[in-house]
Amino acid sequence: IFHVFYAEEKLVGNLASMSTHERIKAIQKMPETMKKKREIRNKVLKEITKKSGRHSTQRGCCTQCLRRTEVSFRRFRNSLSEYVHLLRLWHKTLKIIGGEFGTSVLSYFIFLKWLLNFNIFSFLINFSFITIPQFVAAEPNNLSFTGLELLTGAGYFQQTVLYYGFYTNATIGKMENGTSYNMQLAYIFTVGIYFVICFLILLFSMAKSFCRNFINPQTYSGNASKLLCTWDFNITNEKAVKLKQKNLSTQIKEDLTEVNKEVLNFSITERVVRILIHLGSWVASLGTAVAACAGVYFLSINNLELFMEGRKNDLEREAAMLVLPIVASLLNVLIPFFYSWLGNLEKFQNPRNKIYVTIARNIILKISIIGILCYYWLNIVSASESQCWETLIGQDIYRLVLVDFIFCLLGSFFGEFLRRIIGTTVYVSLGVPEFDIGRNVLDLIYAQTLTWIGILFSPLLPGIQMISFSIVFYVKKVSLMKNCQPPRKVWRAAQMTTFFMFLLFFPSLAGVLSVIAVTVWRLKPSKECGPFRGLSSMYAAVSEWIKILENYIGSKWVVWIYNNLITSELFFFILSVLLLITTYLYWQIIEGRKTMVKLLRKQIVN
Amino acid sequence: NKQTIFTPEQLDAYQDCTFFTRKEILRLFYRYRDLAPQLVPLDYTDKPDVTLPYELIGSMPELKDNPFRQRIAEVFSEDGDGNMTLDDFLDMFSVLSEMAPRDLKAYYAFKIYDFNNDDYICKSDLEKTVNKLTRNELTPEEVSLVCEKVIYEADLDNDGKLSLEDFQHMIIRAPDFLSTFHIRI
Repeated sequence: IFHVFYAEEKLVGNLASMSTHERIKAIQKMPETMKKKREIRNKVLKEITKKSGRHSTQRGCCTQCLRRTEVSFRRFRNSLSEYVHLLRLWHKTLKIIGGEFGTSVLSYFIFLKWLLNFNIFSFLINFSFITIPQFVAAEPNNLSFTGLELLTGAGYFQQTVLYYGFYTNATIGKMENGTSYNMQLAYIFTVGIYFVICFLILLFSMAKSFCRNFINPQTYSGNASKLLCTWDFNITNEKAVKLKQKNLSTQIKEDLTEVNKEVLNFSITERVVRILIHLGSWVASLGTAVAACAGVYFLSINNLELFMEGRKNDLEREAAMLVLPIVASLLNVLIPFFYSWLGNLEKFQNPRNKIYVTIARNIILKISIIGILCYYWLNIVSASESQCWETLIGQDIYRLVLVDFIFCLLGSFFGEFLRRIIGTTVYVSLGVPEFDIGRNVLDLIYAQTLTWIGILFSPLLPGIQMISFSIVFYVKKVSLMKNCQPPRKVWRAAQMTTFFMFLLFFPSLAGVLSVIAVTVWRLKPSKECGPFRGLSSMYAAVSEWIKILENYIGSKWVVWIYNNLITSELFFFILSVLLLITTYLYWQIIEGRKTMVKLLRKQIVN
Repeated sequence: NKQTIFTPEQLDAYQDCTFFTRKEILRLFYRYRDLAPQLVPLDYTDKPDVTLPYELIGSMPELKDNPFRQRIAEVFSEDGDGNMTLDDFLDMFSVLSEMAPRDLKAYYAFKIYDFNNDDYICKSDLEKTVNKLTRNELTPEEVSLVCEKVIYEADLDNDGKLSLEDFQHMIIRAPDFLSTFHIRI
């Protein structure tokens, strides 16, 4: 009893010497009952007041001020987090979905909600800094409104705040006090700072997710962890629980019988045949991706010629504009079915490999389609003779986003509703469909990439995407509850979520940043519309502003930072070298730790 | 801000000892009270000694279909029989919330799967776990085979049963654990 008492005294002493934040974290993490934790907390608080009472004469008023601000800051942060918690949208819906279908399907809906919050944030930034000032200096709109504009984005919408072309390049001046709002700078700085914030948010989310879920990347999922760690406590529906128990027992029975079949030696000819089949299907899938890209490219060139001909039959012309997005969405929907058929043909040894290979092929397809579209926009549309090429790109993206949204709803209808009806009445052996998480998440990432590319050309696009994501959430939820069954195999939700977050960051955001960078630095803005009309490049607005600032004495430091840090190559070179050195050091530290872990593990076993 | 159920000191103590904010603690208190409004007073400032029997806790919608609900209630209750005070109730949902760290969850998961409370998960504990997980659909030979496999894979110090360290080592290799050992309330 005495050494328990002594240990507790040491614990109280340790806790008393930590900062408030760390102390609260340490108490929360203790594996004790609430009563014990409260006792320890009270003892620690008494200890702290005793200590501060002893030292109060030695402490100046400075540290007391600091302590008071620390306490009030903590209280402010607590109340802020409570209000953020109030905004939890759809908490009950997510609970019901998790209760019936488990954590893996829930991860798709949580990802969708996260993207929706992201789009709300983008919309608020763009709307407040770019669109609201534009309303003040708006020119009257002379075009007529027919209903077709909602679908094609052209016509009446061309002269609204929806597109880049409408924004003025003037300095919107206020009346008497002389404060003015420079639209050029506002546009470029808002978009720039928004992308920097996006980059940072994604980087931190990805790092946090990686840290939580990939602590030991050399995992082999033995059956032990499958048994004791994957019971999903989220499932609260009686039928779902029974189903999960049945699935688990089936899996265990399968595992037990497979133990004997593990060592399967293939003969040389069989191995060669398998490699040839794999090679053949990869060639087929890459071939279809290339063919899809070529089709999209030629269709878009055709589209541009059609637009430039300027035929006066507007309705026909605008209906013809819809062909490109419909074809692109059709390719995006149909080719993945071809890929999963190929996957079934290939007979993988490990069923998980089939999922990974199919997802990889889908990613390649989507990246190539977006890539070819960006190439077409940046090289061909921007060099065309049209009056306002940025608005053209904006309209293209608007149509793509809209048609993609319609196809998503249709996909839900055909893929899940009709499939359930077929599976229960005509071909009863097919059964009720499962919710295809991979395909749906890739669709979300595709839509978000399009939105990001479109922000520069159509600042209100996040608002449209916001509405579309909300509708998709409800439609998918209803379709899930009515038409689907819970997943049969374990879908490693945590690792897949990290992987999808990584996909959002690396090909998606990085690609978008390069496209925006090329647009801002290399392309010549159109002469007659938009906030950058007449300049040699969009970036020229910033360099001209710096030149103006040089004449003011008070802002010499801004000019100095610009000349010596942002535009100087030497600075970036030094920064890169420092980064490489730090990365190399951390890599060596990780290698050292890995060796130590191996040594310690050997010690435990022996 | 004007609630009369707890004193400000009590709320501060709850906030420091669990992962919940003040509003969530009050919401959980109302959930606790809804189980038995006639037993739970609306005034906790004088620290009343109220315990709800296991039958009421086990009938909550979040727990009523969970095969491990009895073990969960036993692990978190003060008397070890599943009858919970408000402190135990808050403790339970705090550990099962999404903000609890991996080690804390692993500690309590270990206690839940340790049916005979001897600080080790031995073969009989594992057999009971497997039967609860599969609703007694496997034959006794299959259950025994599975348990032997689990012990073979996870037992690092070769004493024939799983200690807390073996269990924690196994949890590290299962990244889904954090999201599945979670009850949303």
